[in-house]
Amino acid sequence: MIAQIRSEAYKLATTRTNAGIAAAIVGLVSLAVLLHAFGLPVEKLGNQYQQRGIFIDVGVNLGILFAALLGALSITSEFRTGTIRPTLLVTPRRAQVIAAKTLCVLLAGAVTGVLAAGTAAGAGSIGLTIRGVTVELTAGDVTRLLVGAGAAGALWAAIGLGVGAVIRAQVPTIVGLFAWVLFIENVLGGDLPSAHRFVPGALAQALGGQVRDGILTSAALAAVLLAGYAAVAAITGMSAMLRRDVA
Amino acid sequence: MTGLDTAADPVVVERLTKRYGRTTAVEDLSFTLNAGTITGFLGPNGAGKSTTLRLLLGLAAPTSGTAFVFGRPYAELASPARAVGAILESGDFHPARAGRGHLRMLALAAGIGWERVDEVLDRVELGAAAASRPVRTYSMGMRQRLGLAAALLGNPRLLLLDEPINGLDPTGVHWLRTALRGFAADGGTVLVSSHVLAEVAQTVDRVLIINGGRLLADAAIDELAGGRNLEDAYLQLTAEAAS
Repeated sequence: MIAQIRSEAYKLATTRTNAGIAAAIVGLVSLAVLLHAFGLPVEKLGNQYQQRGIFIDVGVNLGILFAALLGALSITSEFRTGTIRPTLLVTPRRAQVIAAKTLCVLLAGAVTGVLAAGTAAGAGSIGLTIRGVTVELTAGDVTRLLVGAGAAGALWAAIGLGVGAVIRAQVPTIVGLFAWVLFIENVLGGDLPSAHRFVPGALAQALGGQVRDGILTSAALAAVLLAGYAAVAAITGMSAMLRRDVA
Repeated sequence: MTGLDTAADPVVVERLTKRYGRTTAVEDLSFTLNAGTITGFLGPNGAGKSTTLRLLLGLAAPTSGTAFVFGRPYAELASPARAVGAILESGDFHPARAGRGHLRMLALAAGIGWERVDEVLDRVELGAAAASRPVRTYSMGMRQRLGLAAALLGNPRLLLLDEPINGLDPTGVHWLRTALRGFAADGGTVLVSSHVLAEVAQTVDRVLIINGGRLLADAAIDELAGGRNLEDAYLQLTAEAAS
């Protein structure tokens, strides 16, 4: 098991995918948060509640999106390139492969979440300051944002891995994850806030400290529920790997 | 320690059947490979050769029957990379990862030291500069050599090779033939599928010919050809099966 974890960590380190994801996070999160900081009227940016809302919207949402992407790619790229075959020849006990991948993407997903949230808070604060708006966030807000985004990123990476292990094909997996986070959850948030509170993206926002309609107020409950989603996804992915042939 | 049951035949396939929906890829196939032999695995495209290899390697599950290596299903081998080496498809590499990186990734999972990576790279004559380049820059022949290096990584006792000659230049083909013979002379066992019958005739001790997932012939190469060349024997058997 330790050997497989080392191999999976080595895989993550030896393609440029993750450097690309990190660069995309920094670029996109900075762009999005600066568009808010410079584009919105000052009366929508001035207080602690508003600023925290923007940083969480941008940092946590993009963080979980890229964490899910990273988790999904860790398995779909193996199917796309064919490396799943040598991987399973060396480690034919497939549960070990998925377990090792899960551990690695939990860690990488946490880093992804923290990076996105940190970039949102950093670039957002700089943008607000340049515009002459005082940054009202407390150290507690920022800590909650970073810790929550890290936890959400970890769990969303496991969700991405599970979805990827079931779907296997890279493009449908990524399109599905993006459509869920960027479109379906937004629609639910607007139209069905009582149900939206329990979907995985809204739970990630709750972990980051978001306070608004359609978001749970209890971080502990959000953490338990999101961990539940991640566990179900990982177990479903593992069972699909155990059951199905590898062509 | 590999925990390998060396008393068991390296490969025992019994009444192996694999269906995909209504399509039967392998049907009631039985054969045994003995240690120290090289066996050619022949048949037209779609005959079921690759499926048989996947079933032996635990990538696919049989519909019925068994495919055992060293007395057990592949997935139950204590240390599979030290028992069996395989080439399945020359494309099984991440294009952005260097050849050496591919082998190191496998070595880590198999608990094999990285010094062995350089040994097998030397063995397949893939130079240090080439091994450091991403696989996307490799020629077909270089991919085959890298695939073979991966197969040899754990110093296995059985090689299952699907079309390993494809894309190799004449020097590479000669090198592979010599390497396989040396491997078998040391007691290793090889099952090699190929469409290059002239090359097979020079390399193997035995041939298995399948068509439509069924076994047509399992014979020593001299017996099968019976004075004819392998190509004539192969064409006659597969034509009879088709008619």
